[in-house]
Amino acid sequence: MIRIVFCILAILVSMAGARAGEDRQKPLGDVPLMHEEAEAAGLHSVYDGPWEFFVGGGGAAFDCDGSGFPSVFLAGGKNPARLFVNKSKAGGPLKFEEKSLDIGADPKLLTNVIGAYPLDIDGDGHMDLFVLRVGSNLLLKGSPNCTFTLANHEWNFDGDSGWTTSFAAEWEPGQKFPTLAIGHYVDRDAPGSPWGTCADNSLYRPQPGDKPDYSVRLALAPGFCALSMLFTDWNKSGTPSLRVSNDRQYYRGGEEQMWRIDPGKTPRLYSRADGWRHLSIYGMGIAEGDLDGSGYPQYFLTSMGDEKLQKLDPDEGGRGEAPVYRDIAGEVGVTAHIPYAGGDKRPSTAWHAEFADFNNDGLSDIFVSKGNLEQMPDFAAYDPSNLLLGQWNGKFAEAGDEAGIACNAKGRGALIADFNLDGRLDILQINRGSNALLYRNLGAKNGDGLPLPMGNWSEIKLIEPNPNRNAVGARITIRTGTRSQTRFVDVGGGDASGHAGFIHVGLGTAERAEIRVQWPDGDHSPSYRVFANQFVVVDRARPQAAYWYPGR
Amino acid sequence: MKRIRGAVFATAAYACLGVARGASWDERVFPPGSHLDFDQVAAAGPSALPALIERGRELFKAKFTTVDGAGRPKATQAIIPTKRKNGVNPPFSRTSGPDSNSCFGCHNDPLAGGSADDVANVFVSEGFESAQFDSIDPSFSSERHTIALMGSGLIELLAREMTADLQAIRAAVVAEACATAKDAHADLVTKGVRFGSIVAHPDGIVDLDAIDGVDSDLIVRPFSRKGVFTSLRQFTINALNIHHGMEAIERYGVRWTGSHDFAESGVPDSITAGDVSALVAFQATLPPPTVKAYLPDDWREGAKAGAKTFDEIGCASCHMQTLPLNSLVFTDPAPYDMAGTLRSGEVKAPIHIDLGALPFAKTLQRNDKGEWLIPLYSDLKRHLIVDETVNALGNELQAQRFVERDVFLTPRLWGVGSTAPYGHNGSFRMLDEIIAAHGGDARFARDAYMALDSEKRDDVIAFLRSLVIEAQ
Repeated sequence: MIRIVFCILAILVSMAGARAGEDRQKPLGDVPLMHEEAEAAGLHSVYDGPWEFFVGGGGAAFDCDGSGFPSVFLAGGKNPARLFVNKSKAGGPLKFEEKSLDIGADPKLLTNVIGAYPLDIDGDGHMDLFVLRVGSNLLLKGSPNCTFTLANHEWNFDGDSGWTTSFAAEWEPGQKFPTLAIGHYVDRDAPGSPWGTCADNSLYRPQPGDKPDYSVRLALAPGFCALSMLFTDWNKSGTPSLRVSNDRQYYRGGEEQMWRIDPGKTPRLYSRADGWRHLSIYGMGIAEGDLDGSGYPQYFLTSMGDEKLQKLDPDEGGRGEAPVYRDIAGEVGVTAHIPYAGGDKRPSTAWHAEFADFNNDGLSDIFVSKGNLEQMPDFAAYDPSNLLLGQWNGKFAEAGDEAGIACNAKGRGALIADFNLDGRLDILQINRGSNALLYRNLGAKNGDGLPLPMGNWSEIKLIEPNPNRNAVGARITIRTGTRSQTRFVDVGGGDASGHAGFIHVGLGTAERAEIRVQWPDGDHSPSYRVFANQFVVVDRARPQAAYWYPGR
Repeated sequence: MKRIRGAVFATAAYACLGVARGASWDERVFPPGSHLDFDQVAAAGPSALPALIERGRELFKAKFTTVDGAGRPKATQAIIPTKRKNGVNPPFSRTSGPDSNSCFGCHNDPLAGGSADDVANVFVSEGFESAQFDSIDPSFSSERHTIALMGSGLIELLAREMTADLQAIRAAVVAEACATAKDAHADLVTKGVRFGSIVAHPDGIVDLDAIDGVDSDLIVRPFSRKGVFTSLRQFTINALNIHHGMEAIERYGVRWTGSHDFAESGVPDSITAGDVSALVAFQATLPPPTVKAYLPDDWREGAKAGAKTFDEIGCASCHMQTLPLNSLVFTDPAPYDMAGTLRSGEVKAPIHIDLGALPFAKTLQRNDKGEWLIPLYSDLKRHLIVDETVNALGNELQAQRFVERDVFLTPRLWGVGSTAPYGHNGSFRMLDEIIAAHGGDARFARDAYMALDSEKRDDVIAFLRSLVIEAQ
């Protein structure tokens, strides 16, 4: 009830703001109606704590019980991290049940958690978790029925202690296990902290052997307070680089970074000589998407104030010859620099960003979680998260208030997933100081009437033989008519939040689609012909795609 | 006097649909206020059905004009809204369309809704969904003879029930695999037609490899030569765009394209959901073909013997004489259409058309279960129709919407006596020739036919020629 009143008030405030910003583009297509139902779903988790937990606030969404439904592991900061097992039925209301976490170690290790990412490190078919902490990080080995055990010792991982605020992983060629990149924030023990004391970041390559061994650390220096990192094949070379988004609040002489990570070689930073341009922002979250169907990723970078949407510069970046990017956020209407509702004209504070298609029209949308750091007077207090809907003219239109996500909360990380497997993407937003918000996507808003069915969709799961059984690093091309959409299989990015499982794509009015996969080793799959509104499983070892159906 | 009465009747009938009429000499199909509102039509209930069907007949025969929105200068024929990359479409193009001024331009033989002579063939291609093409070379396009639409409401109802059956089988086998933690197998059989089989694994994955003659989503698509259209509604929207450049709002409107005039014809929102429903209602209520009345004695005897032979030599294994149908209530929108074709969740209430209330329903036989026996002479399944030595029907070079080039839906033979020429591209002038062209899955029956003496073959022809479309 409290939540309902809270959101209604926020919507009223947002209506006032909408009047103030009447010149903004109105979405022409469907606006997804997002119904907040965290309490009703049994989801209660608050991210909170002192200064160290002003940042972070992430979680992981993944199938931990073999049901296909994504369960969630949510960071709590000073509160313990919690695991909620998804008990929803296909197409029904969202329902979660908390499962107590016994990781076979001191339960206090589940406090001071910043965020988490799911990945199957040991290739046993069960998702493991990399848990980002203030202190020693955790590698939690997943087992059946949503159970986890601490595997730091077994996998020779010393925890890479510090204030860990970002993470990314990739499978390098020839390696049995993933390479882990770990991003740190301020070194609180350094003289003069926090100013100019950003800690170095780390790269852990698996050592030879039959089980994961992360005994060797490579420093990624200098570190500039990395709040997000992502392995990305920016130039379609087949060798991902590591993009790092850094918070200018605390670094001196820093900037956004990209590391060239050639297999077996020492990482090196892209430099001016390579074409890399200086960019200094309050970098909080990276998302990659392909808005123009070129296959070259575009990057959405969250910040305080202007957000950035970077596209490879066609003149100077060519077709991936040099990492020269142009900011097109203003051109396409996604700067999202001040709140779109509520009337507060101070700059926004943005955290998690993700490209996704919330209305299944076949156009990428962008979700951005927003929320004041704590009580920063120079930044907006009421700062609703954005739902920027892609339009057919290549621009974006804000629909957060109309969709119902303009709640007043200090948003942080987020998990975009189809929690009830109905083909529509839902949103779980983790908040600092208040319960997470869980928005179920009910369909297209239809005035006061029942929501309408939206566009067609496909959800795709990739399987390949070990070691990289979930095909992290793969690129999926979905073709409908003359249009191609691209999806990237990543571990990393956003604000300390990641999800694994089916990869969603909206198909609009297309009844059929052709799916082609570029596997992480660069090989291309044949073209798989699939029908819309199906869960598709592409197994590299099988000549045909299969469909998957929820068991409940 | 008769003409005046007709006009008055039409005006009164249309009044309940809220349709405004233009002057009697008006060239326009859609004078201001004449588009139908779906919800208003649905709310009007059964009493408005005759007017809706009549409006559908009128639209079917209408010659759409420029001011109605005909033509698609900047859009392709694609079923997914697709802009031309450059240039402007001419008003008509015999290959990529628009290629007809009206539905009736092709569906006219022997009456409205029927088939056509070869001159009315159209061209489709795999690039059909995406690109312009300007060649009738089979490298680029496939030629299609006009299919008669008689009885198509019954056909769609059969397909809906078959889809429901197949998807229920799938749900059951998935549940079984989940409950038993073992692989579960099921034959996909509905109305006596086997569509292969599926295997469900305990993890919810369903293997599609052994599905036969139906799409992998287990939707029986009964329309087009390839069986790639789910409903009359979907077919109608596609055809309006391809052949006339009339773009339905529910597919090409602002919701899916960001534009009220995607084709840049100069006329926004040129076909409403209600207009499409009128066309659907007209087609759905077209009486099914019949057996020719008043056959001379020799023809009747020959046809009787031919029907027996038709069964004996195996033709009926695919050209099944009847399929049983549980319900004659046709709802619009249809249950298995996808985005871009109006769905039940997008309307306040559907339009119900009780085909059982139409005169032709009295002619339908029923079995001991009370099911109506629809005499369509088809299994609504796709088959390979070509082999190494009998391959005249394998002239195409392209798949169409995932259906391989030498695979076709079993044509319905009701009305075949009225729809010459024959074959997917109308290249066979005689029934004997098209039978002889059956290869692949039909090779055994074709060989049996070819082995018959000339009298028995002639009996089969007598039988097929007795299946006609007649005015009722």
